[in-house]
This record gives sequence, structure tokens and C-alpha cells, in this order.
Amino acid sequence: MTNSFVLRADERGYNKILSTGATASYVGGHPDAFITRFSSFNFGDYQDGRPGFGRIRVFGDEAFHHPGCSYNMHPHHNFIICAFVLEGKLTHINTLGGLEELGPGDYYAFSAGSGGLHEELNRHVEPMRAIYLWLLPDHLLLPPSYTRGHFDAAAGLNRITLLIGDDAGAIPIAQDARVSRLVSDVPRSFRYRPRSTGHGIYAFVIDGTLRCDGATLKRRDSTAVWGADEIICETGRGDTDVLFVETIM
Amino acid sequence: MTDDALKRLMCLGCGFSYDEALGLPEHGLPPGTRWRDIPADWVCPDCGTPKSRFEMVEIPYAIGQPAARAVA
Repeated sequence: MTNSFVLRADERGYNKILSTGATASYVGGHPDAFITRFSSFNFGDYQDGRPGFGRIRVFGDEAFHHPGCSYNMHPHHNFIICAFVLEGKLTHINTLGGLEELGPGDYYAFSAGSGGLHEELNRHVEPMRAIYLWLLPDHLLLPPSYTRGHFDAAAGLNRITLLIGDDAGAIPIAQDARVSRLVSDVPRSFRYRPRSTGHGIYAFVIDGTLRCDGATLKRRDSTAVWGADEIICETGRGDTDVLFVETIM
Repeated sequence: MTDDALKRLMCLGCGFSYDEALGLPEHGLPPGTRWRDIPADWVCPDCGTPKSRFEMVEIPYAIGQPAARAVA
């Protein structure tokens, strides 16, 4: 049986996290910087929404405002943390030795495993916008890892490109989950076939419009479908940009 | 019976894992300390997330884990 839900952009949890006051040690860039975060699933004070989907626990649509705006260096275990930069530049620093600046199309997967720290920083005037995705791992306390990738929207135009998963060219992770991205500039129909009917698909519209499993989704709307052997997505006129997360349920 | 099996929980703020079998001796919780016996106002030792925002998980350990804790 096919199940689904639709989450509209304005139904998501919302936090504005200041670099002053109680969150000053958490968010850098004192005094002007702040982070805005729209959460598709429960996170922090947003506890009245869905707790997650499959192995997804966090799907955050975040923006770092003003130079120096950051999540200061802080520890993690276990979670596989992925970031997909949409606009601006993200400086990512981690205790595996990673120190680099990522721009639009760049993404990474940081598996915290048995322990790792990271900092996420915008050093520039232009806001940095990124999607943050946290997945449960398939084993606890794995050796930590960090891998960076790049999505070339021009080369991948009008097809679904695997960014994270177990196919060649994608970043492998220790979970039965895959992340793909679709950028389209013409109305067209796409078929997404999950690995099995035991897998669900979470489709998030970064930009444009998408008709997916009977629902019409606009910018920052999303839908989840599970129990289906395929979903049909139709992109709208103009540029459409969609992130798909497939996860074992 | 299965209710009595020792459990593992994960902090949804940072991913820190608590294993009832291991406890957290360095934080005053001896091995075998049940989650239900930890005070409600306890917070994640790594990130301060409240006890209520931990999730029970049935995820196996990676090979070689859990490593013996270095106890001073």
C-alpha cells in the first residue's frame, strides 16, 4: 500500500538563532550574525512535527547571515551529516583535517561515527544557504569519515543525478539511503524507482514547481511517499530544483 | 522479557549514544544503569540536549566497538 504526506513550506519548524544572548556560545559572529533554520522534522524546539522519515532525523533549510556567522566547533557521534550548499560560500572545518570552502553545487557527507567535531561558517557578506540532512547510521561508532562532492547542474540538467549512495560517482555512506538532485528547465515527467517498496522517498522542492504523486509542490514544499514501486514527478515551467532522499523505512 | 533487554539510545541533538550495558562511569552512571533510572533532568554530556530528546535505537555496533573505555 502506498502512503504519503505533504509538508508545505510554511508548516515547517522555524528557528532564528542569534549570536548574542543564550545562544552566543553556539552561534558565532557576535553581535550581528544569526542563523535561520526551517526544519522538516523535529529538531530542537520544533517538537510538534514528524520525528523523522525512515533513517532521516534532520532536514534543515538553513541560512547563515552576516560575516562570521557559524555553528561554532562542536562534537558529534554517529549521525551522518550532509550539507548541500545552495547559495553563498560555506567554510566547513572538521577534526578529520577538513578545512575548505564550499560553493553552490558543492556538498559533503560527514559521518561522525565514534566521534568528530565540526564548524560551519560563513565568512562573507552574502548569506550562505544550505540544506542540512542528518541520517542515522547502520552501525554505531564507525570510524569517522568526510567526503566532498560537487553537483554540476549544467551537466546534470533534466535528469536525476545520484549525489550520495552506492553508485559510481556518488559519495558512499553507511546507511541504506540515497540522495539525488534534479534540476530541470522544461516541463517533463521523471520516474523515480526506489530500491524496493520498503524504501521511502522524501522529495523537497528547492525551487520551482513539481507535481509529485498527485500533489502540486511549490518552492520549499515537500512530500514523502513510501510503499510505492515508483513515483512520477512532473517538473513545471521554468527552472525546477529538487532534492530526493531515499531511505529504508 | 524483551522489555528487559538492555537498550541503546541516541541523542537527537548530537548523536551521542548511551548504552545501558556500559553506563557512563565517568559521569556517575555505572554499567547496567537503566535509562528509566536516570533522572528526568539529566542532559547529554556532550551537548546538553535533554534526556527527553534521546531516541531508542536498535543499531548494531561497528566492528571493534564499543572499544574498552580508557578509565584513569
